[in-house]
Amino acid sequence: MMKILVTVKEVAEVEDDFEIDGLGIDEAYLEYDLNEWDDYAVEEAVQIAEAGDDVEVVSVTIGPERSEETIRMALAKGADRAIRVWDDAFESVDLLDVAAKTRLLAAVVEKEDPDLVLTGVQAADDGFGATGVSVADEVGFEWAAVVNELDLDADGGVANVRRELEGGVEELTEVDLPAVLTIQTGINEPRYASLRGIRQAQRKEIAPMSLDDLGFDASALDSPIALTGMSEPESESDATLFEGDAEETAAQLAEVLREKGVGAQ
Amino acid sequence: MDFELSAEHRMIRDSVREFCEEEIAPIAQEVENEHRFPAEVFEELGELDMMGVPISEEYGGLGGDQLMYALVTEELGRVSGGIGLSYAAHVSLGSKPIEMFGTDEQKERWLTPLASGEEMAAWALTEPGSGSDASDMDTIAEKDGDEYVLNGTKQFITNASVAGSVLVKAVTEPGEGYDGISTFIVDPEEDDGFEVTTVWDKMGLNCSPTCEISLDDVRIPEERLLGEEGEGWKQTMKTLDGGRISIAALSTGLAQGAYEAAKQYSGEREQFGQPISKFDAIRDKVVDMYRKTERARLLTHKAAVRYDAGERVSTESALAKLDASEAAREVAEDAVQVLGGYGYTEDFSPQRFYRDAKLMEIGEGTSEIQHLVLGRQLGL
Ligand SMILES: Cc1cc2nc3c(=O)[nH]c(=O)nc-3n(C[C@H](O)[C@H](O)[C@H](O)COP(=O)(O)OP(=O)(O)OC[C@H]3O[C@@H](n4cnc5c(N)ncnc54)[C@H](O)[C@@H]3O)c2cc1C
Repeated sequence: MMKILVTVKEVAEVEDDFEIDGLGIDEAYLEYDLNEWDDYAVEEAVQIAEAGDDVEVVSVTIGPERSEETIRMALAKGADRAIRVWDDAFESVDLLDVAAKTRLLAAVVEKEDPDLVLTGVQAADDGFGATGVSVADEVGFEWAAVVNELDLDADGGVANVRRELEGGVEELTEVDLPAVLTIQTGINEPRYASLRGIRQAQRKEIAPMSLDDLGFDASALDSPIALTGMSEPESESDATLFEGDAEETAAQLAEVLREKGVGAQ
Repeated sequence: MDFELSAEHRMIRDSVREFCEEEIAPIAQEVENEHRFPAEVFEELGELDMMGVPISEEYGGLGGDQLMYALVTEELGRVSGGIGLSYAAHVSLGSKPIEMFGTDEQKERWLTPLASGEEMAAWALTEPGSGSDASDMDTIAEKDGDEYVLNGTKQFITNASVAGSVLVKAVTEPGEGYDGISTFIVDPEEDDGFEVTTVWDKMGLNCSPTCEISLDDVRIPEERLLGEEGEGWKQTMKTLDGGRISIAALSTGLAQGAYEAAKQYSGEREQFGQPISKFDAIRDKVVDMYRKTERARLLTHKAAVRYDAGERVSTESALAKLDASEAAREVAEDAVQVLGGYGYTEDFSPQRFYRDAKLMEIGEGTSEIQHLVLGRQLGL
């Protein structure tokens, strides 16, 4: 019996045109969806479950009731059950920082005792990109970040992974289980939820967990980080359209690249 | 009265929408231009359990309701009328009657492959000489021992050239009018004498094959009779009650697709120094497109919800089909206008919605016939 815990998050997606309202973006411009990286993490877990026998996939989220629809998508794609951590105390928190998420998720990991934890590399909205590794550190698991290929040897208790490093460099490494892997997009091709999967997901369990259930009080959400302002970054873009046949346009492109110093020693 | 969809219905709609946008929208114009039935798309629809949405799970369907089926059909229409039409004909016309009127053996053999998406379905009522006056048909089925022998020609049969089974209406009791018609399950592959004689080139919906078929001494065992002899017309009326809801849903999808294209374009296109949506004439057009689309959807959902409650829906489905098909044509026409010269080109979708929408006022009973049905229902 093997257990995989997948952390998922509902992220806010902003429309092309939007307005900032104080420290946030007006709800009218937001749509909520499953974090893209987490979609790959769920797919990876479900593929492992389909390939092996007796693998349980549990997904966990920290989020308000609204996020049940998002986490249900993980259930529709094949997760067996889900946990949703929430509490009234969250309502008054502007920013849930990495340390707070780590405390909560680490407590869930300790309760569930999984062999493998898969997280997304980062969340598309607040983009800390640190939660997975931080949880591993807290619970004392091995870890590998930005994994874009995974070959699990469950019997040997080893995950053979390929990690994406900066500048196009990749690393092949072995990670002993139990481990936390943060999953990069492109590691697989996430499936569409089948309609039967969606229907069955309505009947799967999403267990609520409060701070109390995890052995905390509201102080677990305290953070030294405060959100003080929100603004749209100035962006500059410059597009050059080359015209002509392939030879001409290639020459023009080479000219520009040379000017910009690409390829210079 | 609750106008909100359940979480399950919403999730299904959103998931189907995502699939449609990513997998169908990019090829929608291409398959039209090629006049190609995209079998690979239907295979994927089968894998996602979409081919038997309102069919019971016992026979490989999803076990969903008519409302769920309407939502799925609308999403298909929003990206491709042709795929939507072949889909709706498969489910409402070719599959659903087997579930409603078939024996367990017939369902096992004929419905299961349809509901799972292994096979496509078709339904053959119309003939060269009988369209709106559909019961006045010439196709005849004669009993010969424990077989029936079918002879005749059927016209404009969606999916016939790609179907695993075709439900054929034929006269078993000449002179009996409505009571002399029966339904037969015909296997295009196995049954000798069945031939697709024409696949029509059309104004739109060209990825959905519309066929003329000829039945020349087609001999089929008596187990292929669907329901009882003489029940064919009553079955037709029941089939169309559901079918018209799906055409209404498909039309709503076409309208929605056209409305979205126009809304987006009008916000981006600038003339005289401002987005064209800021001109009253264009704004009012887009608002009216929204109004008509929303109205079509409400009537469609109302008919579907009543259907699911087991109530009679002849009035509601005729009204939804009449209204939504007109809305689709009008909204699509206005979308072409909003896009100006670009709207007239194949690089933009409104012209395709416009071509596709026109059929919705013709198939499964013309608008004139819907008026006739509604007039009768109103006691006029
Ligand atoms: C793309 C496509 C797909 C189709 N798919 C199928 C299918 O899968 N299966 C199937 O069986 N059929 C199918 N049909 C046929 C369709 O249902 C018929 O074309 C339709 O019912 C109209 O019949 P008709 O073409 O013979 O027109 P007609 O009945 O000849 O009508 C011509 C005109 O006269 C009007 N008219 C006729 N009678 C009256 C009246 N009493 N009062 C007022 N006006 C009247 C009509 O409204 C219409 O405007 C399809 C057609 C098309 C084009």
